[in-house]
Amino acid sequence: MRRVDSLAAILAVAGALAVSPALLAQTAGPAAWQNDLTPISAKDWNRDFAAHLLERAGFGGTPAEIDALAKMTPAQAIARLVRYEGTDISHLPPFDESGIRDPGLEPFPPSRPAVTDMAKKNGEALGIKVKPSGNRPLQPIVDEFFYWLRASALETNRVAYWWANRMLTSPRPLQEKMALFWHGHYAVNEPKVRDYRKLLAELQLYENHGTGNFRDLMVAMAEDPGMLTFLDAGVNVKGAPNENFAREIMEMFTMGVGHYTEKDIREAARAFTGWNYVDLKFVVNKDKHDDGEKTFLGKTGRFDGVDIIDIIMQQPVTADYIAGKLYRFFVRENLSPEYQKKLGSVLRDSHYEIAPLLEAMFLSRDFYSPASVGTHIKSPVELAVSTYKKLGLENIPGEPDFNSATAALGQRLFSPPTVAGWAGGRSWITPGLLLERGNFARDVLFPDINFVAPDRVAASEEVRRVADRIREGKDITTATKPDTKGGEMAESNMAADRDEDFNTRYGSFRGSQLALERVKPIPRDTAQLHLAKMVLAENPQNTTQVVDYLIRRFMRVPPSNDVRHELVAFLDRELGTSDISLAKTYLEQPLRLVLHLIMSQPEYQLS
Amino acid sequence: MKLNRRDILKAGLSGLSMTAGTALRVGVFGRAAAAIAAEAESNGKILVVLELSGGNDGLNTLVPYGDDAYYKHRPKIGLPKKTLLPIDDHFGFNRGMVGFERLYKDGKLAIVHGCGYENPSFSHFSSMAYWQTAAPNSGEQYGWVGRLADTIAPDAPPNFIVNIDTHQSLAVRSRRHVPVVFDDPNKFSRESFFDENAVFKATPDNGKVANPAREFLLDTARSAKSASALVQEAWSKYHSPVDYGIVGLDLPKVAALIEAGMPTRLYYTAYRNNAFDTHVFQNDVHQRLLTYASDSVSAFMKDLQRIGRADDVVLMAFSEFGRRVPENVSLGTDHGAANLMFVAGNQVKGGHYGQIPSLAKLDEGDNLLHTTDFRRVYATMISGWLGHRDTRELLNGDFEPFDMFPRKA
Repeated sequence: MRRVDSLAAILAVAGALAVSPALLAQTAGPAAWQNDLTPISAKDWNRDFAAHLLERAGFGGTPAEIDALAKMTPAQAIARLVRYEGTDISHLPPFDESGIRDPGLEPFPPSRPAVTDMAKKNGEALGIKVKPSGNRPLQPIVDEFFYWLRASALETNRVAYWWANRMLTSPRPLQEKMALFWHGHYAVNEPKVRDYRKLLAELQLYENHGTGNFRDLMVAMAEDPGMLTFLDAGVNVKGAPNENFAREIMEMFTMGVGHYTEKDIREAARAFTGWNYVDLKFVVNKDKHDDGEKTFLGKTGRFDGVDIIDIIMQQPVTADYIAGKLYRFFVRENLSPEYQKKLGSVLRDSHYEIAPLLEAMFLSRDFYSPASVGTHIKSPVELAVSTYKKLGLENIPGEPDFNSATAALGQRLFSPPTVAGWAGGRSWITPGLLLERGNFARDVLFPDINFVAPDRVAASEEVRRVADRIREGKDITTATKPDTKGGEMAESNMAADRDEDFNTRYGSFRGSQLALERVKPIPRDTAQLHLAKMVLAENPQNTTQVVDYLIRRFMRVPPSNDVRHELVAFLDRELGTSDISLAKTYLEQPLRLVLHLIMSQPEYQLS
Repeated sequence: MKLNRRDILKAGLSGLSMTAGTALRVGVFGRAAAAIAAEAESNGKILVVLELSGGNDGLNTLVPYGDDAYYKHRPKIGLPKKTLLPIDDHFGFNRGMVGFERLYKDGKLAIVHGCGYENPSFSHFSSMAYWQTAAPNSGEQYGWVGRLADTIAPDAPPNFIVNIDTHQSLAVRSRRHVPVVFDDPNKFSRESFFDENAVFKATPDNGKVANPAREFLLDTARSAKSASALVQEAWSKYHSPVDYGIVGLDLPKVAALIEAGMPTRLYYTAYRNNAFDTHVFQNDVHQRLLTYASDSVSAFMKDLQRIGRADDVVLMAFSEFGRRVPENVSLGTDHGAANLMFVAGNQVKGGHYGQIPSLAKLDEGDNLLHTTDFRRVYATMISGWLGHRDTRELLNGDFEPFDMFPRKA
């Protein structure tokens, strides 16, 4: 590549820090590489390509991590990331359970009314008996119901922290990136499942089989208790099939809309009847399974759910759909139908093994073409983890709270908004969210002195209000009266307090209190940053070199030259000089301000 | 290429022979279009769209208790007459909907029956996309609210469309406008240090860049800059005594912006995250959802009265589909087809619109057959309410508006 050679030559002459503005941009291959699945050759390989690969197949890297990949051949670098089984991760700690599970919680009823109905009918629920007499005899049961809701949600936040730390520190970054892909693909969420154990089990399934065989993963997911809860599979029974599960398997997980009929959905739903779970185990209730003949996608037989999945895997469109979705996640949004078919063939040829398709994608010229390089809008989780990576951190800070921060940007782990997962791409960005991304950077660089840990406070205003009034010694009825701000009370607020067997608002408060006691706290350390040390190690002479270094280290797409000049002028003002040798002793704060400005640029969102 | 106002007007008239034309012709059409656009732009009418995501069960929202077939289809989850809020001898609102009942009795709520389209999709995502683009079974890439803005305000003044949500809805996707999208008004601001402001104040880059993702981000940055201060100020000044209920949706935020005199004409907001997807044990949860929605909408109307803008605002509520007529064995309902739409506002002539779909004659999948193309209701909003007469091009077909705004005419 002539372009790459000439860049190397200029860099060699000018020295790494004296980059001219035009060369702040990361190099890409020629435009003709677009939609070319041919592998790049060893002589095409360069440090910018290695950095691009690490951004997409992982969560970006420090200069040292990029250098290590740049020294390999492209095939080696890609094998290092994709064929990670040989890379040792035994030093990564397992998830540290709080131990919040009480016996008797299974089967967990679908709603608070269902719990109290069950308690009234059976004299007990959730392993707790109804009080024989006295006021609010169902209250302990309602408390336990809300306890588990809150405890499971809080423990799920701890699982998310554990996972985010793996994204940051695992020597197998693609394993975690693939898990993130599958989590978005299957899109099971905690608010519906309400059991962190099922979500943890799913995450481990994604980590263990994420680059393996898609057919096997699909079968495992169809038999997964979290998924079965999520899509109401338990209520899909012989004689009265519930179509939700069968529909989503086809529409979301394997083929996409338009490749089957409503009749196919009804027939497939019959094949999945009787599939259910007991606690964390998959079961098939034979008496509820419809063993009759079904006709599905042109085939007829006494199919069960696995047969249905196997028939789906025989459809050419399935490989195209999955390959296209992987491509959009790892490479870029725009995908031509022809190129998608090519990628689909790679997946079909490998009998749905994922790793060979990933290798082909990452090795292809297309992956390094200008259409692919620097055109991906980072998801909130990618943004947060890659920010910490590039800062050189060794753990995810407890402040800002990782889950609240990414949720505010539109992506909370274990909480995809709908069964379609996160829409991704441009949908990550709105005017509001773009500003919020800059605010996230500020919270990392300048910890909020008024920070309150979200796992240690009431989950809502209402719970806080009830807690305050109970502490003041108020009775439960008075303590739980809604706050109407003096106006006319809305219907929902009037209706909430009618049943006297228990008090829902008090249960919500009491459950939160019990959860606070039993869920382990998330450590709340702030990011340990040493920007002055990081920058001085490069021995810069002037503010322009400092700004250029930060741009190269943190951005895949540089800002315009005007903005670059603004940044240099800003640093000049903050330091009172453009000569770094005079400013060495007070660099840290001004550097953090410049980095905040850099991370607030529209271009910082790109990878 | 940078479009000037005349180019934009030209493009806006693509239906009229625009093959280069003489300067005179362009001038004539340009003036006509400008006049039409100015009229629509200046009448000050505001449309608020509320999406009830997940497929609201219309039959348990406004219950046809006078029809025995309803109870035959729904022996377990059918709502008995005595629990309803009857509005006539055939229909009663779900008892959670006191607010809607009151709006109806005040003559400010229009109920449109049997809304749907040919060859309905039972997928949330496809059907929602069809409703959001007003283009069923098609791959239209711009939303109908976005196209409406392009048509009535072709020079794309800032802050014309506001979409309150965590992500931009396909409905507001526009060729020319950059919709203002935010969720929490308190967070819709740049937290900067005083010293940094000089850099942040510098106008974001203009003009074309080669990387389309970068260009999109730069456009968004410009919109954020122009809208965030307005929204923040509006929200901080908003102190309403009206109780929007437990959930409130995003309608208090809309009220705040209207009160502050934001130039926005089109608001889009949603009861989010497929909330109405009631496949199992639906009655308790469905009633709760309806109460929240009804509380919020009726509070919004009261709030507009307080603000003094009740005559300028209309709210239209829809869902991507109704639900299956017979209940399922899980005491819930599966995805269905035709459904109700609601239009609320001071200027609305309340009552029933459209033909009530039969509960005896269903499609082969046991769904209501649609009697009203939902685009007729859109056409009613566009022409009857917002005053843009020609809806044909915008909606890709002829859809007869309902006579819903007699006082305005």
